[in-house]
Amino acid sequence: MKRSALLLIGLIILSASAHAQITKDTIKLSSVEVRDSILKKIPYIRTRIQKEQIDGEAIRDVGNYLRSIPGVSGVRKGGMAVDPVIRGFKFSQLNVILDNGVKVENGCPNRMDPVSSHIEAEDIENIEVIKGPFMLRYGPALGGVINLVSEKPHPYEKFEIHADALYGFETNWNGQKEHVSVYGGNKKIYFLLTGGYRDYGNYQSGNSDGHDTTFNSSFRKYNYGAKLGYSPKKNHSILLSYNEIHGRNVLYPALPMDEKSDDTRMISLDYNAVNLSGIIKSLDAKIYYSDVDHEMDNSHRSNWTSRQMVSVVDALNIGGRAELGMQVKKHKIFVGLDYENIYKDGARTMTMLMMGTTTTKITNLWKDARIQNIGLFAEYKTLFSSFEFDAALRLDYNNANSEDTLKLVKNDVEYFNEVSTQFLNFSISLGVTKQITDGFYISLALGRATRSPNMLERFIKLMPVGYDNFDYLGDPQLKPEKNNEVDLTFKYSHEKIGNFYLNGFYSYVQDFISAVMLPSSVVMPQTSGSLGVKQFVNVKSVGFTGMEFGYTSPEQYNLGASVVAAYTFGYTPTVTKYIIGGSGVTGDTVLKNDALSEIPPFETTVSIFYKFFKGKLVPKISTRIVADQRHTSEAFYEPYTPGFALLNFSVKYNIIKYVSVSGGINNIFDRSYYEHLNRKIIGTTDKLYEPGRVFYVTLNVKI
Amino acid sequence: MSRQYFIRIFFFVMLCFFFFSCHKDDPIPEPETETGKIKFTFTHLVDGLPLEKDTMKYTNAAGNNYCVNQLMYFISDVTLHKSDGTIKLIDDWKDIDYVDIDIPATLTWDVYDPIPVGNYDSISFTFGICEAKNISMMFVNPPEVNMMWPGVLGGGYHYMMLNGRWKNLSNVDEIFNFHLGIGQLYKSDSINNTDSIYAFVQNYFNVKLPNSSFSIEKDKTRQIEIIMNIESWFVTPHIYDHNYWGGAIMQNQAAMQMEKENGFDVFTTGAIQ
Repeated sequence: MKRSALLLIGLIILSASAHAQITKDTIKLSSVEVRDSILKKIPYIRTRIQKEQIDGEAIRDVGNYLRSIPGVSGVRKGGMAVDPVIRGFKFSQLNVILDNGVKVENGCPNRMDPVSSHIEAEDIENIEVIKGPFMLRYGPALGGVINLVSEKPHPYEKFEIHADALYGFETNWNGQKEHVSVYGGNKKIYFLLTGGYRDYGNYQSGNSDGHDTTFNSSFRKYNYGAKLGYSPKKNHSILLSYNEIHGRNVLYPALPMDEKSDDTRMISLDYNAVNLSGIIKSLDAKIYYSDVDHEMDNSHRSNWTSRQMVSVVDALNIGGRAELGMQVKKHKIFVGLDYENIYKDGARTMTMLMMGTTTTKITNLWKDARIQNIGLFAEYKTLFSSFEFDAALRLDYNNANSEDTLKLVKNDVEYFNEVSTQFLNFSISLGVTKQITDGFYISLALGRATRSPNMLERFIKLMPVGYDNFDYLGDPQLKPEKNNEVDLTFKYSHEKIGNFYLNGFYSYVQDFISAVMLPSSVVMPQTSGSLGVKQFVNVKSVGFTGMEFGYTSPEQYNLGASVVAAYTFGYTPTVTKYIIGGSGVTGDTVLKNDALSEIPPFETTVSIFYKFFKGKLVPKISTRIVADQRHTSEAFYEPYTPGFALLNFSVKYNIIKYVSVSGGINNIFDRSYYEHLNRKIIGTTDKLYEPGRVFYVTLNVKI
Repeated sequence: MSRQYFIRIFFFVMLCFFFFSCHKDDPIPEPETETGKIKFTFTHLVDGLPLEKDTMKYTNAAGNNYCVNQLMYFISDVTLHKSDGTIKLIDDWKDIDYVDIDIPATLTWDVYDPIPVGNYDSISFTFGICEAKNISMMFVNPPEVNMMWPGVLGGGYHYMMLNGRWKNLSNVDEIFNFHLGIGQLYKSDSINNTDSIYAFVQNYFNVKLPNSSFSIEKDKTRQIEIIMNIESWFVTPHIYDHNYWGGAIMQNQAAMQMEKENGFDVFTTGAIQ
């Protein structure tokens, strides 16, 4: 609290010299906005969330917040770093980027630090979620793109300086967050300084079933950054950004270790130009460097005294992209190239204290592993009568190598041997939107995207990175995964009725990357509590299908409502189920049309709000209903998940122009529940529950 | 460009796009070998009767009154021998099996491997774990992890822990840990000086089960009982005397050598059904 008070006092002092001015009269050069004005009728589902929608929510973690978007779920392993899942596609099947192209390689093999954990919600300007393999400009995207765009400084007509501050508190976790940003500049030079701190304790599940459970889920994070912009002349801008984000003692009850420290540093340089000639409308270039130093151990666990595990990983991602936007009459074309070079190295030190002696074993998780990807892309869009056509192409050359010394060969079967691979991947998407009547559109989108296996799938060595209690082994010879998808979307918009959309999709994935159990005669697990070893493999094909519905009421009325619903069904035509008996694996059988594991169930959210005092005070009540997930994988011994319903309440009040306060109650009835994708508590078959009732309040000051 | 022209191009590209999805036919599968299954059960006898734990009712060949509290051991590389000289090594899924009299699930081994049909002459296995496979920290979970053999004494895992008590010469109960694992050779007289270890001795040995011929029929499971006759550890060819060797022998290669040599006839074949 003392820190918060100092923060606010500092802000007030700063504001004394500031020229208070709202940002309406500023010049913005964000290339995304320029593009967005061109791309109005897109043939696939894109959700964009602006900062105003994020402010005031009880967001302790961006990944957790993304779960509020229809069709987006998340994998929870602890108090933070919920890993986003779109329509059942997850991890590297999604292209999660920062600031239109910055990539971060997660340091943790257990994904304690997905990309979405390397940015704080308070620093986000907008979030863009694109479902399906259609947006190919930002890299290979098999199941979707999540673009987390941070706030940027912008030029001002004359020198100004502003500041924002935020303080938030949540019960249950006894969590507090603080964030401050100072920004300003003039026509030529402009800047943004930000910093944040959050400290959360352990949370309790709800007690609707008669008892609650406290989970070791506390965490502490802090971040700071600086951005400096320069406009050498009209329509040209350069932006240098530097950010650090640090995690300390982040506990993950569903993983065998906790994050002792995570230190992420990101630097990027952007150049942007618009309206260069009659044809060339935009030029964007970006280079970036991101470095993650991740250390995790089991020092917070009871087995630390007898079995100590410490893993240290260094993950680098260096890359860039350049893109040219052109327009000739109705024809709009974007062409460009991108490059990324991922480097990963890390080891696990395991020390066992037994019979009065100490035995130490060091295993490399990654050994100077590298993946380089260079891509060429093009996007074309044109209007013709009542049709709008979209096309995108992408060609990637992917090269992977590692200094691994592990050789795992048995009976001439090479489980882990040759580590070098090169792939040439081709991706394409096509879409057409037809205007039927005024406000009514039908869109058809087809896409085939190819993505190469990631660092984990290729090179990881014996870490429990899946949802089950198995150690996983990479396969350096995995083939790229291909998603062939068709989306059909109906959109209807009426100024008095509101906006509707209904989407259906079918996805046929070839060489789907899954995992199979390996015999203990080949390799044994290395993690305490692991039941065995699974290795990543290509499965010939799997299918996903589903639907999504959305409605939002017209903005003109004080009373408003929204309804969203999403459902995904995943199946695998043939899969081997290993029969496990008392003495281990005793046999196998082939199953037909088994469910894919980790597919979220049907869910719907209904929200109703009312705008009092011209929108200054907006209370909102929403209910989220999630169905049982009974379509679970028999081959993977995936348990079923019961459904649940939640009721949430929030209110946002803009007290004066510079101060707003928001608060609310999540999970009003203290429901005891868990999401289907939540991981199990390590060493048990119990799932990690979601937090019970939470009261929260957030104060925003903008000057 | 006409509207029709555009639509044609669109659908042509869509067709091309789906051609990318085409793939080669699957290779022709090899003809399947007819197989059956095998299941091992483990029985522990003393003087021909089922072991009764924690009762001081047994007497070994050296005249020691003793009881057994715990018994855990590994067998590995189980091999099925045919009369034509061909063998079937059981290692498709696991090649090391752990047996613990306190854990009923370990007293049965439902073998994963499909076993080719036919007549088999005999069964053999390694008692313990061979040097190449006995790697420290390969087991991370209980109960196997509790079999760890200290690294300084050779590493890897105990082949066997047979723990109990015997009445010493003063008729006082004394604990014995009749263990077998990697032995050590010391330069100095004191085993406390582990720095003086100059060599390790692999004490695992091969067991050929007597009267273990059987047949495998297609899609049927053959159950074979493997019996450990515990009293045999203390006799033939050597009479093992707890009063002479003491309770702890992990650092006594001479005792473990005797234990190893006595082990050749410890196992017999029980019911085959």
